[in-house]
Amino acid sequence: MANPKKERKGIVAVFRYLDKVSDAVKHMHRNKQFRDHVIYSPTSYHELMEHGEKVYGFSEVRWFTLVGALAGIATGFGMPIGMDWDWPIVVGGKMGGFYSLPAYFVFGFELMVLFGALATIIGMIIMGRLPDPRGKIRHNAITNDRFVVFVPGVGVDSEQAHLLRQWGADEVHHSE
Amino acid sequence: MDRKEEQAPRLVTEGPDGRGESLTTKEMRTVTEKGGKDLMSDEIVWQRSISDVNDSILLGIDKPSKTYYIALAFSVLCMAIGIAAWVYMINVGMGVSGLNSPVYWGVFITNFVFWVGIGHAGTLISAILFLFRAKWRNSINRSAEAMTVFAVMTAGLFPLIHVGRVWLAAYWMLPLPNTNNLWVNFRSPLIWDVFAISTYLTVSLLFWYMGLVPDLASIRDRVKGIRRLIYGMMSFGWTGTVRQWHHYEVGYALLAALATPLVLSVHSIVSWDFAMSAQPGWHSTIFPPYFVAGAILSGCAMVYTLVVPFRKMFQLEQFIRKEHLEALIKLTLLTSTIVSYAYSIEFFIAWYSGNEYEWAIFVKRASGPYAFYFWTMVFCNCVFPLAFWSKRIRNNIAVAFVVTVLINVGMWFERYNIIISSLVEDFVPGSWGHYEPSLVEITITVGSFGWFFTWMLIFARFFPLVSMSELKLIMPKPLSGDKLKSLKEGEAHG
Repeated sequence: MANPKKERKGIVAVFRYLDKVSDAVKHMHRNKQFRDHVIYSPTSYHELMEHGEKVYGFSEVRWFTLVGALAGIATGFGMPIGMDWDWPIVVGGKMGGFYSLPAYFVFGFELMVLFGALATIIGMIIMGRLPDPRGKIRHNAITNDRFVVFVPGVGVDSEQAHLLRQWGADEVHHSE
Repeated sequence: MDRKEEQAPRLVTEGPDGRGESLTTKEMRTVTEKGGKDLMSDEIVWQRSISDVNDSILLGIDKPSKTYYIALAFSVLCMAIGIAAWVYMINVGMGVSGLNSPVYWGVFITNFVFWVGIGHAGTLISAILFLFRAKWRNSINRSAEAMTVFAVMTAGLFPLIHVGRVWLAAYWMLPLPNTNNLWVNFRSPLIWDVFAISTYLTVSLLFWYMGLVPDLASIRDRVKGIRRLIYGMMSFGWTGTVRQWHHYEVGYALLAALATPLVLSVHSIVSWDFAMSAQPGWHSTIFPPYFVAGAILSGCAMVYTLVVPFRKMFQLEQFIRKEHLEALIKLTLLTSTIVSYAYSIEFFIAWYSGNEYEWAIFVKRASGPYAFYFWTMVFCNCVFPLAFWSKRIRNNIAVAFVVTVLINVGMWFERYNIIISSLVEDFVPGSWGHYEPSLVEITITVGSFGWFFTWMLIFARFFPLVSMSELKLIMPKPLSGDKLKSLKEGEAHG
């Protein structure tokens, strides 16, 4: 699916109702005339997320989190062990380093969460193609209460526009 | 249909074109109960549609009320007084703070623990309740998250204030080698705390900002000129594509999963600042869960204390509903009972352990020179919240507000009681002393409240206090008349 930057001209179909747009999405999924279309939603409705799951599959954000968390664990244990190795401090007659491993679980845990969280955000930004300073805002009400389907490379008199109207679009217009 | 039913408000679930027909709230509820789960996603009967959300919630941003400016001026004044006292203390010396042998941890550390505790409810409400699918959190999670971030920022000030020469604080607190090229002691709970609090602040900030991104895009699409540019940049150019939502949802769930154990770990680590020492009254294995429960209690109480005036000030009563506030009160009641249990068990173990030093501290807490602080703590945290067993009181916002303020007071006294009463009388009677907060400490404490409320008010002026995109998920879905009719017919045919 859909990199709207490839083809910035096309049609925008605006839907008011969730059931109509989710039906339209199912139709489009089966119809070969619709390729590279982009769906916009004001929030993460389950009906549309199911479609996202089908199209984008397993979200790679999980991998970012895993790698970040593992790097955090390694850093959390490596930092105090490395510093103890550089200059051992004897506290209460006890050596540092591997002898004090339980105390370092705190750093391992905290940095796992910290690095994992930072990596999750990075993953979400990269996979969601953000930041997107040239991202076209197809309709000002998308972030309010409207659902929008953008079909690139076709006009308002096309077969696709006709079908979208038939499937319940309230308006279909040209988009630059 | 009886008279009451006829008067039930009609939900605005379809457009003005008049296609289909709307359902009364009672019909809505019936259809939902009969399996029309896609009709309503929450047990609350809403009288607004998702189309009202942005306009109503952003009204406060467009036109803040006069009360807002009065509150802001008062907060800034308190903050200025606090800053003046801090500057005075730096200029004259730490002696004016009243910290001296044997009490070197006084009001500043009390404030630190208090504010970290306040910061607990935000991530609890956002992360833990998100994972438990408690939908009521969607209306208050933004305020709670903002509260968390600002409370932890406030808490972070106190170790800096406490060390006196603040310009050297980074050198003392971070893992930097000292003049003898020695690294910090990684087996000290104080350095654990630095890592725990820094991680908590960063993760809370990320969680809060991540939730804000779709809402910032909503503001961008309403405003013009330079504001549009700024909100556009802050929203990273969010356009609401299904692709963005898909990765966003996974990222949000993962962050919640990471933040959940973090919430529990942070106050546990704060409690180890005390429990790892051999001081009577501190050296207790119950401290981590006791501190976490106390933190959640104070956090929930503070969310309530904040949300009630803010929902009035920004006219959010339609979205932060009584049902949501009642759910928050129930959580407060639950944590109050856990805290009461912890207080009792702490006393019981002090007696049962047979450790005379431990027992002496506890007896003195309840009957010695600090008995006032102890009994204030008990009444505010254990006795007054019992009123919440009554549904009438839970739903009486004014009474519940007073009780939550008292809980905040009680939680501050709890920290004061733990810290001071254990320090004034330790193992060596020759070093015993007495401690009362000095004027400088009290003024800096007042300043910290000013600092916290100033940030909250500035936030409320430029950002939505309710997460609009998440609120829409618990409101009636925008379904067409055809769909509503088919659901009604399905219900009629059983």
